[in-house]
Amino acid sequence: MTVQLEDVTVHFGRTCALEGLNLTVAAGETVALLGPSGSGKSTALKAVAGFVRPSRGRIRIAGVDVTDVPPAKRGIGVVVQQYALFPHLRVADNVAFGLRAARRPKAEVTRRVAEMLDMVGMSTYARRFPRELSGGQQQRVAIARALAIRPPVLLLDDPLAALDAQLRADMLDELQKLRREVPDVAIVYVTHDQAEALALADRIAVMRAARLVDIAPSADLYAAPPSAFTASFLGGANLLPVEVSADEVRVAGHPLAGVRAKEGNNLLCIRPHAVRLGSGGLPARLLAAQWRGASSRLTCAIDGLPDVRVHIDVPAGGPLPEVGAQVSMVLPPEACSLVPAGTR
Amino acid sequence: MFAIVLAVLVLAPFVVVGAAAFSGSWNGVFPSDPTTSHLRDALSGDELASLTVSLQTALLGGLLAVVFGTWAALASRTASAPLVRFTDALYHLPIAVPSVVVGLGLLVAFSRPPLLLNGTKWIVVIAHLVLMVAFTYGTVAAALQRTDDAYADVAASLGASPARVLWQVRLPMLRPAIVSAASLSVALSMGEVGATIMVYPASWRTLPVSVFALTDRGQTFVAAAESLVLLAVTVVLVVTLDRLRGRAVER
Ligand SMILES: Nc1ncnc2c1ncn2[C@@H]1O[C@H](COP(=O)(O)OP(=O)(O)OP(=O)(O)O)[C@@H](O)[C@H]1O
Ligand SMILES: [Mg+2]
Repeated sequence: MTVQLEDVTVHFGRTCALEGLNLTVAAGETVALLGPSGSGKSTALKAVAGFVRPSRGRIRIAGVDVTDVPPAKRGIGVVVQQYALFPHLRVADNVAFGLRAARRPKAEVTRRVAEMLDMVGMSTYARRFPRELSGGQQQRVAIARALAIRPPVLLLDDPLAALDAQLRADMLDELQKLRREVPDVAIVYVTHDQAEALALADRIAVMRAARLVDIAPSADLYAAPPSAFTASFLGGANLLPVEVSADEVRVAGHPLAGVRAKEGNNLLCIRPHAVRLGSGGLPARLLAAQWRGASSRLTCAIDGLPDVRVHIDVPAGGPLPEVGAQVSMVLPPEACSLVPAGTR
Repeated sequence: MFAIVLAVLVLAPFVVVGAAAFSGSWNGVFPSDPTTSHLRDALSGDELASLTVSLQTALLGGLLAVVFGTWAALASRTASAPLVRFTDALYHLPIAVPSVVVGLGLLVAFSRPPLLLNGTKWIVVIAHLVLMVAFTYGTVAAALQRTDDAYADVAASLGASPARVLWQVRLPMLRPAIVSAASLSVALSMGEVGATIMVYPASWRTLPVSVFALTDRGQTFVAAAESLVLLAVTVVLVVTLDRLRGRAVER
């Protein structure tokens, strides 16, 4: 079943939290809403769930206009940012909540709760209270509770934000598995973490200041970001000012062979891991080097562009130049693209 | 040093009342002729009736205050801002206004038809309700402010009707606040004199009013014994309610 948002706009008093969002999520598709804090991701989710009323626009689920339908009648599964497990109910009763609200027969409730807890690996915790669970366990219960009512649409609001790095990686695995368990559900996954979006989503919608900036299949968005904001937010690309003249693209006066020129005010976009240190490249100075385990992150400044910081990820193990040393920076043309400068 | 001064100021009245309750006479510096007859007086006849009156008033008034306070606090969640400010002020009025004035107001308001409550126990209950509801409203509203709307939102998204959200999510989550509002209002009600003395009918004399009346008639020792009873009953009530709260928090 598809979810359609059409020009959805939400105001809180004077602040506009969401401005004219158009978005379609197909059955079985995962769309990630990715954006910095305060960009309106949760607001978009709340509008779909029915927790806030849009001041403009329509929301359709499976073609039916639900804009004026209360949340209880929408049948959408929601996992909110802080899980909101009912603190006075045991795990099993939390999961059973939606089934009991729908007055399902006792036997069915028991069976479904057991099935859901089994799916998220929480069967042994059925009798616990939420505060007796870790963050990751609460997360699983919240997902089980949302999926127990067999919703055609599942909304997840930054579900891993409250977890530490190790647990986040584990839960990301779990979510990928879970995705395969519910192949027909349309999922909207809100996150501010690009790694989660890339790992889980079929398409990524990048949001900024209450607006949708770009939306495209994840791989396309990463490979050829349509805007400077997306380029830097998704994958932390380097953005370098360029001079374009007669089919030639130059950076700090050095021509880049193989990069095709484009109309308009553009920036050169290249990922940190694509930049190489070698011979015959742009002269630059190494300003800092940070060892990150599997790779090292170098920060450089190209001669002639003292205000622009260029990040380079080089695999660990190789020799690193001294900080302060002169280096030569190679920008492979196949890794370069031009993006509209727009507003950063 | 300050602690000692404070302790003397706070504890001295209790000690003196306790001593007076058990003494036959108090002519010198110390009380003499220890006796339990005052206590027996305090627990018989009219005075015992006062105790049951006080208990009924406190429980009934307290209960109503909790219901109204909780209701108002929940309603103010969805009401418009100016309306909320108005009811906020309205509910807090009884804290600012001297209780004698509240009593007088009720007496005037309910002394003629169609609202002829003067002379019945209901005017006392209403007086207590008006005075306590400010505290219950405040306590529950503060707790409500701290709870996230997300719980009710999630419950609704799971298909729960507004009534189900209220009874199975909102109220259970407010239980600790509701219980402490109840124990606060019962304790205050047990000791209320100012408004009660303005409105009480002869058939419905609360314990603190009895203490006041006895003292007025010069029966200080019986009054002291009765104060002791009042103190004991209030402590027992509050501790019992607090136990309930403790259990609510644990769950
Ligand atoms: N209930 C509210 N009342 C007033 N303003 C609000 C409310 N909820 C959100 N906002 C404002 O709307 C904007 C978007 O908020 P939203 O919660 O959608 O951001 P977000 O993208 O989810 O951020 P985060 O990643 O921090 O969760 C913010 O500027 C926020 O201050
Ligand atoms: Mg959010």
